Amino acid sequence: MATGLAAATARRRLLHLPRHRWAYLSSSAATTEGLDGGDGSGGGRVKIFDRDLKRRHRDRAAWAMGETDALADAVADNLLDRLEDCRKAFPSALCLGGSAGAVRRSLRGRGGIEKLIMMDMSADMVRKWREMENATDDGLETHFVVGDEEYLPIKESSQDTVISCLGLHWTNDLPGAMIQCRLALKPDGLFLAAILGGETLKELRIACTIAQMEREGGISPRMSPLAQVRDAGNLLTRAGFTLPGVDVDRYTVKYNSALELVEHLRAMGETNALFQRNPILKKDTALATAAIYQSMFGLEDGTVPATFQVIYMTGWKEHPSQQKAKRRGSATVSFSDLQKQFGSNQN
Amino acid sequence: MRRTAASLLRHSGIGGGGGGGIPQALADALVCPLSKKPLRYCEDSGSLVSDAVGVSFPIVDGIPCLVPKDGKLLDHDQDKSEDCGAEDSYHRH
Repeated sequence: MATGLAAATARRRLLHLPRHRWAYLSSSAATTEGLDGGDGSGGGRVKIFDRDLKRRHRDRAAWAMGETDALADAVADNLLDRLEDCRKAFPSALCLGGSAGAVRRSLRGRGGIEKLIMMDMSADMVRKWREMENATDDGLETHFVVGDEEYLPIKESSQDTVISCLGLHWTNDLPGAMIQCRLALKPDGLFLAAILGGETLKELRIACTIAQMEREGGISPRMSPLAQVRDAGNLLTRAGFTLPGVDVDRYTVKYNSALELVEHLRAMGETNALFQRNPILKKDTALATAAIYQSMFGLEDGTVPATFQVIYMTGWKEHPSQQKAKRRGSATVSFSDLQKQFGSNQN
Repeated sequence: MRRTAASLLRHSGIGGGGGGGIPQALADALVCPLSKKPLRYCEDSGSLVSDAVGVSFPIVDGIPCLVPKDGKLLDHDQDKSEDCGAEDSYHRH
């Protein structure tokens, strides 16, 4: 429970940080962990993100996004690398929202996937993927579904792997969504997810705060809370995955200006969808933010860097063949006896 | 090549397959998002019906929409008389 409390505190602190109408990325990990931790029932009673708005964001992203996206492709490629680390093949796969298009592009026969189901909340996004799919011809059987990660419409024990690339951080009930993913997996199935971490867009956070202080004499929350790395392991364990693995990667993307960064966030469908967001962003505050961003973080070549911290999570569904620790108290030999036996030989 | 042709057929809604408007392989993996119970394909309305909660989910352009908000609550009487009850469709065919 101590971690739950810590997460709740972390979240409260984050909520008081600035958020923008144009800002953006979020993750509910810390959030739901802390708020729902008390009763363990999850159930999405706490609504932090406006899922309907997010759906519209993704509709917009469907036409705003380009053929390729360097950031999404890099993350998807890194995520799928993990499939090559497994000796097992994964004939049936489920790919959830976020950058599933990038996952599809980067798949290139990895993991022995034969049947892929691609799911997103936005019908426009799914249609866009289908258009892209028709252009590729690598013999992979692909199906498309419009569905919500919070209400996963996938049969129990039907998938060999569930992949989510940069999508789960927008769910209100992240542990719940991950539990549903685990249920959809066959025993010894693999769960792979990439979510954005708390370091993401820290430059924009700072620039937003200063600009708002300066122009409006106060700050309003502009950016969503994001998961911290320490939460990710807890999340995997809480969702019941075995052999959990977490690792972090940091990407720095250079933009010509802060406004271009915002355009990119829109194209990725990563703009702010908090319920408590301030719907008004004054023009001069926005321009001041861009100017502050440029002066504080601008590089010598005139570009501005933006940090994206990505947390990769790996977990397996339970299976008798997996190694696991023995039950606590099941030892039959005491450590002092071991020391007597082997320690004396050394002396 | 053959697979592409099959998928084109599927997308245009001609191929069909055992699951009705959607390919059988996909129909096998889908359940009701709310109750996680099986879905039934209704030919009359071209939608997927979850009998457990009495909700029908549309299939738009060959893509099933299983977001709870997109679902339509089925009226109970209507369900029996016209909204593709299992017995009804049996009689009709």
